[in-house]
Amino acid sequence: MRRRSFIQSIAGLTVVSSFIASCHKQRVIGGSVIGTSAHTGHLLRDKKFAAPVSTTEHAVVIVGGGISGLSAARHLHRQGIRDIVILDLEKEMGGNAACGKNDISGYPWGAHYVPIPNNDLTEYTDFMRECGVITSDSTALLPTYNEYHLCFDPEERLYINGQWQEGLVPQFGVPEREKVQIRQFLEKMQAFRIAKGQDGKDAFAIPLDNSSKDPAFVQLDSLTMKQWLQQQGLTSEYLQWYVNYCTRDDYGTTYDEISAWVGIQYFASRKGKGSNADHHDVLTWAEGNGWLAAHLKKELQPYFHNQALVARIHQDNEILSVDYFDVKESRLKRINARQCILAVPQFIAARIMHDEERMQKVHQHIQYSPWMVANIRTKELEERNGPPLSWDNVLYNSQSLGYVEATHQEIRQGIQQRNLTYYLPLTAHTPAEERKTAIEMTHAEWVKLIVDDLEKVHPNIADAIEEVNVMVWGHAMAKPLPGIAHGTIRQELAASVNDKLHFAHTDLAGNSIFEEAFYQGLSAAKKVTTHLSGNI
Amino acid sequence: MFKKENGAQWLLLTAVFVIATCGLIYELVAGTLASYLLGDSITQFSTIIGVYLFSMGIGSFLSKYFNSNLLSWFIRIELLVGLVGGFSSALLFIVFPLAASFRIILYAIVLITGILVGLEIPLLMRILENKVAFKELVSRVFTFDYIGALLASLIFPLLLVPHLGLIRTSLFFGILNVGVGWYLAHRFTNEIRQVTLLKAAAITLLLAQLICFVFSENIMSYSETMTYDDNVVYSTSTPYQRIVLTKNKHELRLFLNGNLQFSSADEYRYHEALIHPTFSSLNSPEQVLVLGGGDGLAVREILKYPSVKQITLVDLDPAMTKLFSRQEILVRLNDSSLLNNKVHVHNADAFTWLRANKTLFDAIVVDFPDPSNFSIGKLYSTSFYQLLKHALRPDGIAVIQSTSPYVAPKSFWCVDTTLRSVGLHTIAYHNYVPSFGEWGYIMATPEEPHQWFSHIPAPLKFLNPTTLQQMLTFPEDMKAHQLLDINKLNNQALVKYFEEEWGKYLEH
Repeated sequence: MRRRSFIQSIAGLTVVSSFIASCHKQRVIGGSVIGTSAHTGHLLRDKKFAAPVSTTEHAVVIVGGGISGLSAARHLHRQGIRDIVILDLEKEMGGNAACGKNDISGYPWGAHYVPIPNNDLTEYTDFMRECGVITSDSTALLPTYNEYHLCFDPEERLYINGQWQEGLVPQFGVPEREKVQIRQFLEKMQAFRIAKGQDGKDAFAIPLDNSSKDPAFVQLDSLTMKQWLQQQGLTSEYLQWYVNYCTRDDYGTTYDEISAWVGIQYFASRKGKGSNADHHDVLTWAEGNGWLAAHLKKELQPYFHNQALVARIHQDNEILSVDYFDVKESRLKRINARQCILAVPQFIAARIMHDEERMQKVHQHIQYSPWMVANIRTKELEERNGPPLSWDNVLYNSQSLGYVEATHQEIRQGIQQRNLTYYLPLTAHTPAEERKTAIEMTHAEWVKLIVDDLEKVHPNIADAIEEVNVMVWGHAMAKPLPGIAHGTIRQELAASVNDKLHFAHTDLAGNSIFEEAFYQGLSAAKKVTTHLSGNI
Repeated sequence: MFKKENGAQWLLLTAVFVIATCGLIYELVAGTLASYLLGDSITQFSTIIGVYLFSMGIGSFLSKYFNSNLLSWFIRIELLVGLVGGFSSALLFIVFPLAASFRIILYAIVLITGILVGLEIPLLMRILENKVAFKELVSRVFTFDYIGALLASLIFPLLLVPHLGLIRTSLFFGILNVGVGWYLAHRFTNEIRQVTLLKAAAITLLLAQLICFVFSENIMSYSETMTYDDNVVYSTSTPYQRIVLTKNKHELRLFLNGNLQFSSADEYRYHEALIHPTFSSLNSPEQVLVLGGGDGLAVREILKYPSVKQITLVDLDPAMTKLFSRQEILVRLNDSSLLNNKVHVHNADAFTWLRANKTLFDAIVVDFPDPSNFSIGKLYSTSFYQLLKHALRPDGIAVIQSTSPYVAPKSFWCVDTTLRSVGLHTIAYHNYVPSFGEWGYIMATPEEPHQWFSHIPAPLKFLNPTTLQQMLTFPEDMKAHQLLDINKLNNQALVKYFEEEWGKYLEH
């Protein structure tokens, strides 16, 4: 063989292989955009429904099968009330604790962890004991947590200044004077954690309504987190990023929008302690809070009416009627209920009630932040320097919150494929603008956005990704803006109507977390039992 | 006309040169491979050279049966040599772990290559016999033959093995062989029948070998041969790990993901220490669980206790247990332990398996890799040891390989602390394993009283009542000297200790 032809054939091979490589690069990544049933939901806004085709009678109707609704139903069931109907638009109950599953593992579509419960939350810790999350009995001095549910090590890492560091508080490459500010900030948060008001209550408690009303703390609800930081002289850019990351992470709200009181509550309200866990520990599952939702749902299956869009609630002559559109049958049906719990966001509650005044009030005070959540199925990823793949993986200065590895709680060795859940609160523009853009985005555009973001830390991610599924939450959670936590709007909206219609939702609690939803449901259910027994 | 004839003659002589080089290279590749894989290089080289030369003799003898179309035959043989010789080392590497009759395949390849190479020179001389005077012919052919041999013997150790590795070396010469065949077919198109077929065959072969050359041996396994001190005789990437076997004159070593698992020279020290303190303290153990230990060496020691009825071996990687059940040398090393009908092999994840397990065991042997990352660290956690405790009979004993108490005392005692934290009683001990250094083990039992070490089987190479007493004593430099954290799934203290201690140790 002549040298030239040898070289030619080698060159030929190179061309072929680079062609193969280029085909590979441009391959289409599979998956789809999975909406929460926004289209059906918008029927509520746009459609005029005909008269209902059937009428049934039930003791209690719960509208909304999120954590608040499920928690309410569970309490009623435990009280021996069986004549319950839970209506929800989606195919599965669970609300923001929605989850999915593939052959690798389960994965969350929304909320994916809860912190160690505060020890004074008896009903909540009882629930945790029922789930097997707490293994000690209620007489134990400190609860013992099931170690399969405590977030495994390594928990968090942050990609900053060209490498990963352990933990999310910026450290690597942070100048000393900024580190001092970060320490000061964390000390202040620790002080708030143990602070008590003049009324003897915790300054920052869960549920929020158990917090002290001492003006010294309440006044923090009149300014934004950013303003508070500036007041304190905490101007460090790294610190501000960190705080903004935290408020976006928990509330989908930037630090220059969020109430300082709620912003601080994020850091100061966690006080739980176990024999083998502390307030900074978290409980998590592959499918996120879907795991907890599944436990809530356990005994409630007979009450579920899924794919039911509640169109109207009205009261004539002491009769409370709930009209809902049965999506499967495409017909409007009516339930006459003795008691009803509206466990839905306030903008939906107002619309269902056809109450113009209420609707305006909601629009005026409550904003809902849109989110994008993507579940990424991937092969082994290339890594940058620093700690290995952790549960929570965050990129400094990224628009996203990074990703959580759903397979993290697996005990088996040699995991080759993983599910990563990527979170992006859409906070760059107004919620309405963001919502509009997000709904118009194609699957390919979302994938590009994710790949461009994560390529910085995993150079091979474009090749390693096997599938990306995207969910856009148009109204993921109510923003805890100043004046909401300690203003009057929540009480106004939460007030029961005619002792028959009650409200339970985290946007009435002031922040969107599992515990709040759990207690929202519980207290609405208690109102229902009082009125039911009063009626008998 | 004269010029053309002359050109053809020189071309054919160049072919002799190439053939001679290739021939010797194949022989050297076979010899080297045999001594890599089978050890005892003197015997291997001697028998390979012998068989090879003898086969060449057979080839020369057979050459008289070729009467016509000599050039066409020559090209065909050239292509065949390229095929067999070129792929020989790749083939031998692949069949080594699979075939018990590796030697038969090895010598078959040497025989075939030898015969084919042996055919070439006589055929070539006959092709040229009418073109050149006989004394010139003999002189030139053998001159080129021996120069080729010299070249081969020089470049093989100096250039080829270090830079190309064995697989690529043989492929490279396969390509040269086939290239010569193709060029001759091209050059003498008019003189050969069915020349198109020959050319097509040559091109196909060339492409196949080129592709193998470029793609099959990737950079990783190339650099691997550079990483290990000894010759890599076998390597494979399974979904779980990279398995590498190396060999020198004295010992065979197994590496998993680059970490030494054992050396055949002193593994008995490790495995006797791992098994006998536990088993000699049990009253007729029957049900035994081995977690990890897919090499079957721990099982070999366990089988020395006749009371044992069943050994359940749980190892993640089927490639490991398969290798140690089938490969001749490895099966000899573990005394066919994995083939014993008391032994039941489950290729499963140990943690998942133990979580689902309902059986109670008299003894559990935990032989996992060191806790060098968060994934393996889970197998040393309180949650895992809880499961271990529940799988033990009250009077049963578990033993855990627990890294080096000399290099990593905090790691070693952290394992002890973690075992105690779940309510197990522990006895720590250590011994010296030359290829590892000072190594540590921990026995754990739900109930304390045992007749410790009362049934030591005879004869063992390392363990006896006196050495056992020494093993139980820890000098100051093998103690932790601090309060240690418990290793938990949500706080893997052990992985941090391990990284810190071994990191420091390996810096030197």
